[in-house]
Amino acid sequence: MRKQRRGQIRIIEAFLAVLIVFSSLAISASLTTEHKTVESSDLASVGLQALMKLDSDGSLGAYIDNGEWSKLRETLSLLLPEGVIFNLTVYDDEMRQINTEAIANGELNSQEVASIKYVCVSQNPNFKCYVVQLRLAVVK
Amino acid sequence: MKRLERLAKAKSSGQLLIVAALAIAILIATTTAYVYEVSKEKPATTQSYPAADFILAIKQGTRNAVISALANASNGGEKTVLASNLNRLAQTHRSLNAYGLYHLSYTVLNDAHYMDGVWLSWEDTYGLGISSAYANFTLKFYGLTEETTLSYAINITTAIRLEGYYTPNGSGKIVNLTCQVFNEGKPALAKNITVYYEVDGSWVPANSSNSLSITDYGNGVYAVSFTISADSGAVQVSVHVHDLRGIFVKANVTCNHV
Repeated sequence: MRKQRRGQIRIIEAFLAVLIVFSSLAISASLTTEHKTVESSDLASVGLQALMKLDSDGSLGAYIDNGEWSKLRETLSLLLPEGVIFNLTVYDDEMRQINTEAIANGELNSQEVASIKYVCVSQNPNFKCYVVQLRLAVVK
Repeated sequence: MKRLERLAKAKSSGQLLIVAALAIAILIATTTAYVYEVSKEKPATTQSYPAADFILAIKQGTRNAVISALANASNGGEKTVLASNLNRLAQTHRSLNAYGLYHLSYTVLNDAHYMDGVWLSWEDTYGLGISSAYANFTLKFYGLTEETTLSYAINITTAIRLEGYYTPNGSGKIVNLTCQVFNEGKPALAKNITVYYEVDGSWVPANSSNSLSITDYGNGVYAVSFTISADSGAVQVSVHVHDLRGIFVKANVTCNHV
């Protein structure tokens, strides 16, 4: 009788133990997934919108054609919300970097970074196609 | 004595199980927290935005490619430049999209007006000039379970409409013109306007010696006025325009006595 009761208690204890282990797993899993996706997808969307706005009248292609990197940096600073750090790299259609100076407003160090690759076609009569990589992070 | 020890061991082994479980739980939680913190420190790069934005971005690129081709063709380039530009753009998209998640294809329009997707109508003598390019695009997305196809057309058109008349002025004439500029059917601005008039079968540019004046009303309407020396009959005028995108268009009009 005693042995039987002890056996039932063991089973309950084992259940409790399993419950504790699994609840810790569940809590920690939800902890890690919550933050990441929301912030980066918003940031990528904001970055893409900024590039598209700049490209809608051909300004983006014109800045790149003329190598006006500082103008491009200033315009992007105006288009992106405050508190967003960006770093833009321009490649030709064979993925060779063509911007001769940094197009950035800060350092991307320990933040979560959103990255966008945008194909920009210049409206110039001589067809030029660029791949623009914009990396963004929120200042913390 | 041994029996007592065994009994005590047996009694406390269940509690030990819970303590061990707690220890494991703490270990898991701290490890996860540590891994999370460490991964946060490294700049994790992600690229995700709504599909609608992505489609708009691709459309924007194709639109610019058509504008570039029309600017080239209307300034003396080959009409085949449109197909060549679009081919290069599609190639760039293919090289970027290594996993084959989407595919961009195109066809240029060929019909009564368009050849290789380009239509330049400049010889109309009723004052209408058209430079246009047209291409159809198909964008296919390959998902895990389904394939989505999006078809769209890009038509870039720069047009001008001229209306004019002349009034006698002593031994000469004052020619007055109204030039309207359109981009895709909407009023648009011109980058530059050059005016010519016909003398003995050849076109002569109107300039300051003709008291040329061009008034920009800011809404795509330009009033042009110039004087010419005596000549009998109607005045043939040709206006050449580059719009802000660099697309060239010209139109001719016959100016009669008002």
